[in-house]
Amino acid sequence: MLGELKYEDVEAASRDLADRTLAKIRGDFARLIYLASMRDYNTAEYHHEGLAYRFSERVAGRAIASCHRDAFTRLVRCSVKELVEQLELYADSNCSTASELVRVWEKLQPYRIAVPLECSSLAARFFASNIRAALAILQSRQLRAHREALSASPSL
Amino acid sequence: MSALAYFLLVAVIILSFCLLLLRHGGQRDLDRDVDGSGHGTSVPFVWDPLNSDLSARIFGPEDSDFVASETSRRNARQFRQERTALALDWLRAVRGPVNQSIRDHVRAARGNAGLRPADEIRLGFAFLLFQLTAGILHIVIWVCGPPSAAKLVGYSLGLAGQLRKVTEDVLPTGLQVTVELVEEKQEREN
Repeated sequence: MLGELKYEDVEAASRDLADRTLAKIRGDFARLIYLASMRDYNTAEYHHEGLAYRFSERVAGRAIASCHRDAFTRLVRCSVKELVEQLELYADSNCSTASELVRVWEKLQPYRIAVPLECSSLAARFFASNIRAALAILQSRQLRAHREALSASPSL
Repeated sequence: MSALAYFLLVAVIILSFCLLLLRHGGQRDLDRDVDGSGHGTSVPFVWDPLNSDLSARIFGPEDSDFVASETSRRNARQFRQERTALALDWLRAVRGPVNQSIRDHVRAARGNAGLRPADEIRLGFAFLLFQLTAGILHIVIWVCGPPSAAKLVGYSLGLAGQLRKVTEDVLPTGLQVTVELVEEKQEREN
């Protein structure tokens, strides 16, 4: 039991969210951003109309929080190399280029507000540090690719 | 004779440095207790299970090597510095619950007539060994970086586990009953 909530209900709602919605999103990073976007900035409560309609507002909130924690945990356990792949996948699936993603994310740092509320400050800082490193690697790769393209093009 | 004197001098310097770090670490733990909560030492430390997974990543060379091979020297240096800071924070997160449990034990043991001196000495020795290892680990991380301290990390975690077990074994019976009652009450409230 979770207070008045039944553990089984939260589990069922989590499965429903995972099967119907999260399975269609490519990569854990995109899932993390999607789940964090359902959280109210002021109350840290999660809202999802469809899930709340099928279960209840509280059960849906707990289920989203649980999925958010799981996605974050999986990403924290990733190596920087795997994170770079996740970021590339995220950029591809959001119809933006990796260079655009790097440019905007270095300024806005949206990954800082994508962490679950309950995670330790150590895990949050570790995650932010890894993302910064992954962004730097993406940027270096683009610069390298750009230089190679310039050197390969015929000189006028 | 002079070699022995030098050896003793070096040993005293290292021990003094370790003690200084221990006091510094302990003070920071106390600061964290008081900081923001206003509850002083009564705030219990919660060990996040994810921190155990993090240790493998923080102290492993894989990420640092990959970043060094893919980015500029400046980025690689910044990443190493961040990992060093994270490793020191991780060490503080390991020391926090151990220090807290010893403080709880001292509080519970005060005025308890059923204390066994042999167990208390065993606990004191284990705590001293843990603090010494943590102090050495702190220096190694600070000076050489997290990957160099990887082997000591396992040993330090083992000591922390042993210490928790010893604290549980030595804990006075009266407090154990109180803890069980509090836990039961919390379960009922949930």
